[in-house]
Amino acid sequence: MTQEERLIQKDRMRFIKNKLPANLALFAILFDVFYFVSIYQSDVRDYYYTMMIGASILYNLVFMLACFLASEGLKNYKMSYAWLIGALGVGQIIRIFVLPAQAHATELKKVGRVMGDSQYAFVVGCLILSAVCCLAAAVIGGVRSKVLKQYLASLETKSA
Amino acid sequence: MAQLRLEHVDKIYDNKVQAVFDFNLDVKDGELIVLVGPSGCGKSTTLRMIAGLEDISQGRLYLDGKDITQTPAKDRDMAMVFQNYALYGHMTVYENMAFSLTMRKEDPNVIHKKVLAAAEILDLTRQLNKKPSQLSGGQRQRVAMGRSIVRNPKVFLFDEPLSNLDAKLRGATRREILLLHKRLKATMLYVTHDQTEALTLADRIVCMSMGHVQQVGTPLELYDSPANLFVASFIGLPPMNFFETTVAGDRLQGKGFQVPLTAQERSGLSSYQGKEIVLGVRPENITEGGSLPIKVFSNENLGMNTLVHGHLGGERITAKLRGWKNYKENDVVEVRFDRKHFFDKETTNAIGRE
Repeated sequence: MTQEERLIQKDRMRFIKNKLPANLALFAILFDVFYFVSIYQSDVRDYYYTMMIGASILYNLVFMLACFLASEGLKNYKMSYAWLIGALGVGQIIRIFVLPAQAHATELKKVGRVMGDSQYAFVVGCLILSAVCCLAAAVIGGVRSKVLKQYLASLETKSA
Repeated sequence: MAQLRLEHVDKIYDNKVQAVFDFNLDVKDGELIVLVGPSGCGKSTTLRMIAGLEDISQGRLYLDGKDITQTPAKDRDMAMVFQNYALYGHMTVYENMAFSLTMRKEDPNVIHKKVLAAAEILDLTRQLNKKPSQLSGGQRQRVAMGRSIVRNPKVFLFDEPLSNLDAKLRGATRREILLLHKRLKATMLYVTHDQTEALTLADRIVCMSMGHVQQVGTPLELYDSPANLFVASFIGLPPMNFFETTVAGDRLQGKGFQVPLTAQERSGLSSYQGKEIVLGVRPENITEGGSLPIKVFSNENLGMNTLVHGHLGGERITAKLRGWKNYKENDVVEVRFDRKHFFDKETTNAIGRE
């Protein structure tokens, strides 16, 4: 890519929405939805796991709202939303070790294993994909926001 | 840019209604042609046939010598600007202008350059991130023009683009279109029912009525030498005054008044001695200080000029007199006709043009 092409690409950012990270954030929500729809299968009528599913559902609501806000913010090259979605991505990884990993490792006398192998693989897959989307959105959105900020600053310097 | 030729073009709808009759026109490269006429005269239909939005029933259409009569609209390399702008409300100005090129999958960097160049021409650079709803009518129309400019078409087609604007904005946007034409040196066809737009914009005007071309010529030709009564009445504001008169020796005899003829006028009317003709006089060709008495019934002051409405003999007349006048009802103003137009009463054609 030539110097001029790079410059035009930067200039285009002034008028084009940052769609890639915004769409990645929406995909993160989609994978999260697959996760929490599947998690109901682990309803083993055990007080601890019922509470955990309840907490997970509440977190899902917060995650989806925050992720959607981040998607809109990233679309407009807002750096703070890149940090937010990055944190949400790390949260999705941590979640793997909270409910799915615990449930997969626990065996109850009356029902056997709380989460079977296939369900475990599916929910972990969903959380990993969601986390990857969040982190990719954070990196791409962050880098582009920084590039645009620097470009606009250079334009201001030139005009001054 | 491009040359356009229409040969014997007719438009007949399925219900057998004929909207355009034997339309012939040669548009030169870089020319701005204005199609003007009252509502329903076939001017928009003609433009839509050129754009490919309507089928041509009979005749041929050529672009740069190539027959494009059957070519689909998308392949004609023409851009049309509509009266209602036809912008996408959910897209920004930039996205609206880039849309057609994006659909063609052009290089985004090339699109960017073209959009910025068009925005610069149309003074829209500061509006590129706005949505159409945040723009004034004039700005929206400029966006619609910008969308055409980025395509770099061979021919620009404008279908009454200023009709939705208020009078002040219309004047400003009209000047912008004129500047745009000078800058792009593009071939343009412009449809309007507003004769002021036609006179101010056109290199040549095509005046239409009831689907027929009445006259093709420069604005001055249409204003100064109208081909027939229709063109004479349509071009010019206020419209031309018409009087039914009889040629009687060295004068015209009207209803209750007589108009002297010059030697040149007499020779031009020699074959009409004793016959009835229609005398046409533009209001601005009437000046004070003659022998024709106008009995005033109203007075409109326009600043530099005054429109005086009254009766000359038994006929109504409007005169545009210089300066601020304060005539009252029943005042009598003596005037003369500085320039006269004569029309055959039967054919309605201008005498001396056939």
